[in-house]
Amino acid sequence: MVQTHSGRLQRLCQLLLADGQEAEEVVQEVFVKAFEAERRHGPPADWGPWLTRIAVNTCRDRRRAGWWRRFRRWSERIEEMPIADGGPTPEDAAISDETRRRVWLAFRALPDRQREVFVLRHLEGWSGPEIAAALGLSVGSVKRHLFRAIHRLRETLGGTP
Amino acid sequence: MSRCLPDKSLTQVQAGLGSEAEHAHVQSCPGCAQRLRALARDLAVISRVLATTAEPATRTVRTARRWLPAAVGASALAVAALLWIEVAVWRAMTFVPPTMQPEEVSAILSEVSAALFSVRGYVSAKAEADELVPTLESEEDAESDCDGPDWLVTPGCGPAALTPTATSEWGWAEE
Repeated sequence: MVQTHSGRLQRLCQLLLADGQEAEEVVQEVFVKAFEAERRHGPPADWGPWLTRIAVNTCRDRRRAGWWRRFRRWSERIEEMPIADGGPTPEDAAISDETRRRVWLAFRALPDRQREVFVLRHLEGWSGPEIAAALGLSVGSVKRHLFRAIHRLRETLGGTP
Repeated sequence: MSRCLPDKSLTQVQAGLGSEAEHAHVQSCPGCAQRLRALARDLAVISRVLATTAEPATRTVRTARRWLPAAVGASALAVAALLWIEVAVWRAMTFVPPTMQPEEVSAILSEVSAALFSVRGYVSAKAEADELVPTLESEEDAESDCDGPDWLVTPGCGPAALTPTATSEWGWAEE
C-alpha cells in the first residue's frame, strides 16, 4: 500500500501545501492514520480514495496551523531563481518555461478550496459527488469552485474567450 | 436549447458535471463544440504542467511592506489616544463658575459696598438698604456740625479732632 500510493500522495500534498518537507510529513502522518484505522476498523474497500481524503484533510489542518507563516509569506516578494538541476525532462521540454512559470504562479495564487477541487477533479480524477463528500461541500459548490479555478488558470494561458 | 452555453456550463460539461441538455447542445452546436475543445486543450496543458513538471524554485525577499499596515495602525491609535487624553484633561481642568442669581449678586455687592465705605469700623445704616448707592456718612458724622462751610474753625471738627482710634483703624502713626 505504501509503495503504491506514497508517490501519488506526495505529489498531491506538495500541490496543496507548496512545501516539499511539509508534504513528506503529511504523507507519513496519513500512513500512520491508515494503519491505526486498519487496526481498529479493518481495511477499506479501496485504499486510494480513503488515503486521498485523509491527505486532503490533513493538508487543510496544516494550512490552518501555519497561519503565521502564510502571513509572512503574504508580504514577501517572490523572485524566481534559475533552475540548477541536471536538465529538463521530455515533458518539461515540451512546455515552454514561460508557460510553466505562469501556470505554477497562477496555481499557487488560487484560494485553498479552489486548488483542492481542481486537483481532485483534474489530477486525481474524482467525480463531483466524490469531491463534495470528501470536502464536505454540496455538488453546486464543487461546480462553482471548479469553474472559478479553471477560469483563473486559463487566464494565464490567454485562453479565456 | 438554442442559445450557446456560457463558460460556466461549458466548464461543467468538460468536467462531466453538466446536465443532459447541456451535453446534447454541445454535440449539436459547432460553436460550443469548438469552445469545448479549446477548453479541454488548455486544461490538458495545465494538468500536464502541474502533474509532470517541477515547480519553479523561488526565493523570498523580505520587504518592509509587512510592517507598514501595523505601523500605520499603531500611529493612528496613538494619535487618537493623545487626542482623547487632551480632551479629557482639558475638561477636568477647565473651571466653570456656577451661575448666580441676581438676588445673590445684589446681596454680595451690598456687603462689598458696606465694607468699602464703612467709617471708624461702623457700617452705616444706609448701607443695609436695597439701594446700591454707597453712603459716606456714619451715624457719628451725621450728628456733628462739621458739615458746614466753617468746619475748620468749628470746635471739634478740625485736624485736632482726629481721634487716635481713627488713626489706628487706618494704620496711621499716632502723633
